[in-house]
Amino acid sequence: MKMSRKLRIWAPVALALGISGPVAADQKGTLIVALDTLGGQTMDPILEGRAPHAHYQAPVYDALIGFNYKEGGLGPGVAERWERSADNMSWTFYLRKDVRWHNGDPLTAHDVKFSLERTMSKESIASRAKSLRKAVKSIEVIDDHTVRVHTKKVNIHFPAGLSRAVFQEGQLMPKKYIEEVGVEEFRKNPIGSGPWKFVKSVPGDYVEYEAVDYPHFRGTPKFKRLRILLVPEESTRVAMVRTGEVAIASISPDSIAEVEAAKLKLISVPATMQAIYGFYGTYKDSEKDNPLRDVRVREALSLAINRQEIIDHVMNGQAKMPMPFATYAYAVDTDIKRWQEWGHKALRYDPKRAKELLAEAGYPNGFDMTFANTALPGTPFMTQIGVAVSDMWSKLGVNVKLKHYEWGAFRLLLRGEQKKLTGKVSMFRTAGRPVAIARYRSAFWSGSTLARLGNKDFCDDVCQAYDKIQDQVLTEPDDAKRYEATNKMLQIVADSWQAVPILEGMGFWAVNPKEVGAFAPIPGRHEFGDVFERMPRPEQKPW
Amino acid sequence: MQRFILQRLLQGIVLLVLVTSIVFFVGRLTGNPVDLMLPEDATEEERQDMIERLNLDGTVMEQFQVFVTDALQGDLGTSIRYRQPVTEIFFSRLPNTLAMIPPAMILAMAMAIPLGILSALRRGGWLDRISGTIAVLGIATPNFWLGIVLIYLFSVSLGWLPSGRMGGIAHYILPTITLGTFLVAGFMRLIRSSMLEALDTEFVKLARIKGLSEFVVVWKHCLRNALIPVLSLWGVFMGGLVTGAIVTETVFAWPGIGRLTYEAVIFRDFPLLQSVIIMDAILILFINLLVDILYAYVDPRIRF
Repeated sequence: MKMSRKLRIWAPVALALGISGPVAADQKGTLIVALDTLGGQTMDPILEGRAPHAHYQAPVYDALIGFNYKEGGLGPGVAERWERSADNMSWTFYLRKDVRWHNGDPLTAHDVKFSLERTMSKESIASRAKSLRKAVKSIEVIDDHTVRVHTKKVNIHFPAGLSRAVFQEGQLMPKKYIEEVGVEEFRKNPIGSGPWKFVKSVPGDYVEYEAVDYPHFRGTPKFKRLRILLVPEESTRVAMVRTGEVAIASISPDSIAEVEAAKLKLISVPATMQAIYGFYGTYKDSEKDNPLRDVRVREALSLAINRQEIIDHVMNGQAKMPMPFATYAYAVDTDIKRWQEWGHKALRYDPKRAKELLAEAGYPNGFDMTFANTALPGTPFMTQIGVAVSDMWSKLGVNVKLKHYEWGAFRLLLRGEQKKLTGKVSMFRTAGRPVAIARYRSAFWSGSTLARLGNKDFCDDVCQAYDKIQDQVLTEPDDAKRYEATNKMLQIVADSWQAVPILEGMGFWAVNPKEVGAFAPIPGRHEFGDVFERMPRPEQKPW
Repeated sequence: MQRFILQRLLQGIVLLVLVTSIVFFVGRLTGNPVDLMLPEDATEEERQDMIERLNLDGTVMEQFQVFVTDALQGDLGTSIRYRQPVTEIFFSRLPNTLAMIPPAMILAMAMAIPLGILSALRRGGWLDRISGTIAVLGIATPNFWLGIVLIYLFSVSLGWLPSGRMGGIAHYILPTITLGTFLVAGFMRLIRSSMLEALDTEFVKLARIKGLSEFVVVWKHCLRNALIPVLSLWGVFMGGLVTGAIVTETVFAWPGIGRLTYEAVIFRDFPLLQSVIIMDAILILFINLLVDILYAYVDPRIRF
């Protein structure tokens, strides 16, 4: 296929991509990590639907697209570079030539085609399987190290969905091995191309791996073995780090003081999530008299929040002022400097101005409001943030009726017409992703589930402007125009005050420096599945 | 006896059907497991797609029909989360829970019997009062708190014992103490009351008149009778230990069926939850039947 215009995407090459790594004799010891969840604890990528895959599947499996290890966001994976066709309807991925499966077979374009088709298959419960099926028209093997994906529509951000920076749909599986041994055997004895080989999985207890003994593009492991333990109770995880039973454990902000007092190392992974609050259906006819319908009221509520106080006292200082909804420092097509300045100004604490806005809107003495407080899995501190926000709103004169929901019960309310949430506000969260459009589409597009700006029955000028600009962000091939459209999209949503960030949170880990050396996480990536191979032993130089 | 066992088995079947139905229907009121499997920004289309793939479409009655049909053939379904047969998962975790029970029971009886006897013999004295306090503390102290305190004392501060997980003998000590403490309290108070009753009986007075030593009177004659009601409580506690060591298993990262039940509830893994409840119910019914049969052998006054 002729390509009159080639778009070369080079991600900054992190230092370790060219590493030649230690040989087997240099690999010693066992790195032990304690997590609060191992998800479905399945070694078949198509059977895992949620984030824990990035902890325990990532050591074994490489993804087609990888990370920018230093700055976060996308980078080369098994595909060292990729190009978009002139008509923007296909993507060509050029694979590394030296990647092999754990049984020694080379990883080729046939494996990539097989993996993507398997991920899209009827058997797959990967969370984005449906979206991938909708996007992909066909997959073509050009040669052993070149594969082309033809899409049904123009989607400029298509490759992002094949990176673990976004989700797991780009994980690569061995075609020949699976066809030879069958799926059931593959699930019991999986092989991948990652820096760690699967050894054993004990359901509800742990997964164990052994390091490959040859150089790997992600980094060659310094430890001989890796064991990931399931330890649901946080105080037990912290105790295990303190005693040296584990080297690293995931923790919440509540344990930070103890970790520091015990002279352990605290690793805070920046930009992993935003705690936000959002409004539902304030545009509907039934909400004509609802104060929350007025944009001044919504802005006033934001100005009444002392975010720094929440950062200091709920998050123990381990959070920062956010940028707009789902916007992080590693986001693509985003004017980071502009939005950082916006965050400091627009999201400031200004109770005086908040009261003025309420008075202008006709509510000088406040009003009644229902606030649904909930916390998504992995971020239990959201409910504490919700309580703090509710309290701050009360000081503004708003009579807040706080209702607590367990996440599973809250999800029910988001379905259909959202009758129990219409006209109300709730806590919510966005996870750190380099490409914001997916989050924006699911939250603000008039055809989405959340549809915060308007829906198919009611879509005013703001809603229509958003829908139009979203299409441009998704399909505009010109970098400069897409950049402009993306920032315009952020502005439309920011000006609506329909989904407001409270803080930009981090992922936290307690580390025993006697068990593992110094290492740096991938910004925006709470999970360490792509970092284990870069962790040095205590006696080695920091990575 | 055979008629009694048959009656109990029939009652057990009725109970199983009731429990299963309640868990099936009530569980589905709490939400859909796909909502916990998908990211928060999943579209309605992605949601529907996963519902179909996991065979969660169809009305609740249709799903119940499928479940009953399969269950009668011994198939309790596939875990939504783990994608494995639920019976396989249950039986892989059951031995881990069963391994924790004997040490906890032995500890409980080893402490409860002497303390209960001495409290009864020294009724109203300082030992009786201390035992009573221990009993109250044992029942009132939350397992969760006790487990964490024990970890911090013996593992973190003293470095004597591991913090959690299954392993060698050292790994059993703290979970055993955590589980056993509650049992000590319950058994001790019951043994004390039973001993006080036994000590007041005519045959004990006769034994003393006959010149038997106090040791023989207490440990041979009274204790034997005092342990009969303890057998009932043992059955109740056994059932509770097998099915409900959720907190202990969570604190000590012990991969047993208590924790499995908790995970099934949190993740709305309906097939797994149903299977765990059914298996637990069968276990409890079996344990209680065994206790009733043992009761008849231990107490000759009881006839079926």
